[in-house]
Amino acid sequence: MIDDTKFFAWLDGELDPAEAAQVEAAVATDPRLARMAEQHRGFGKRLSEAFETVVDAPLPERLASAVKPPRSAIIDFGSRRSGRSWSPLPQWAAMAASLVLGIVVGTTLIGERGASPVEIRGGQMVAAGQLDNALEQQLASAGAARDLRIGVTFRDQAGSVCRSFTDRRSSGLACRTGNRWQVRGLFDAPQGQAGDYRMAAGADPNLAALIDATIAGDAFDAAQERAARDRGWR
Amino acid sequence: MNPLPAFEDELSALLPRLRRFAHGLSRSPADADDLTQMTVERALRSKAQWQPGTRLDSWLYKIMRNLWIDTMRVRGRQGKVEAPAEEAEALGHDPRAGIEAAIDLKRVMVAMDRLPGEQREVVALILIEGFGYREAAELLGLPIGTVSSRLVRGRTALLAMVASEDDD
Repeated sequence: MIDDTKFFAWLDGELDPAEAAQVEAAVATDPRLARMAEQHRGFGKRLSEAFETVVDAPLPERLASAVKPPRSAIIDFGSRRSGRSWSPLPQWAAMAASLVLGIVVGTTLIGERGASPVEIRGGQMVAAGQLDNALEQQLASAGAARDLRIGVTFRDQAGSVCRSFTDRRSSGLACRTGNRWQVRGLFDAPQGQAGDYRMAAGADPNLAALIDATIAGDAFDAAQERAARDRGWR
Repeated sequence: MNPLPAFEDELSALLPRLRRFAHGLSRSPADADDLTQMTVERALRSKAQWQPGTRLDSWLYKIMRNLWIDTMRVRGRQGKVEAPAEEAEALGHDPRAGIEAAIDLKRVMVAMDRLPGEQREVVALILIEGFGYREAAELLGLPIGTVSSRLVRGRTALLAMVASEDDD
């Protein structure tokens, strides 16, 4: 018995040779399957031909001109790190700055057992320990009951899930990269506000600006946040 | 004074394919070109996030897919704004009956638009863009089994829609 999933996987050339031979034999003896194969092959061809007309058509002027390089380089965290765009600092300087930031935060955001909340992996600052756990598991609805609070969750312009966080002394933004949370920004709380539990995540103007520059679309609502966690933040 | 950087070169070369993917996702050619333009603008703004050595096409498709999802969300909030008369016209009788007849783009886009979004994106990536199941699953962040079952449902429904129009 050949189920539909297997049948179509065969049609699309997705089966290994042994399985393909099995479906092939079934199609050869079952007129219903043979008819399906013929129909869907024909349909797939017509479908791709219909859309091929888009590829063959000349590009509208607005699309062709959209690709022209911008007049001034956009400077953001990422471009400084990658060094591919124009950068006012050599790459090592930007890296050193990240490290300093990491150390500063390492001293201000220290968890109960003294573990650092960030670590450097492959040249990137990623969340560790308590911060990593909170980003991984905690929902914004956990609210002020925790020392470390999650603010907004959203997708960035490349589709990665990002989450802002706040503790007593600082706030920041981390985005999912592979199985880690890459810290994109960390800010000390303004003088006098340290220890104010009521400061909302994202209230820091620097953090708000970073979120604004990173977000694509709307922030997740509670259901979307939970669903994203259930999908492993992909 | 500088030649066009490699990123923009590659983006330019991928533009016709991106535009095709946008047509697979969108309800009309005008919407598709809007989506393509938004994708290009967003890709240029976030190009530092692209890791050289990884596939630029997958990265761009991902950006486009996320923008499309945002658009769908907005559309969902606004309710169905489409004029039924226009849809009926686009789906109207086509004298070229039979499974072998060519299908024109406008008709197939109308049919695609009737698929649930989760099926449409899988059909567009695999049947139109030619991605393998595994590549599509990685791009969408879904298990391969989910992708293949959505593909079965999507292509079956699509064939039924187009074939029933042919029979009219």
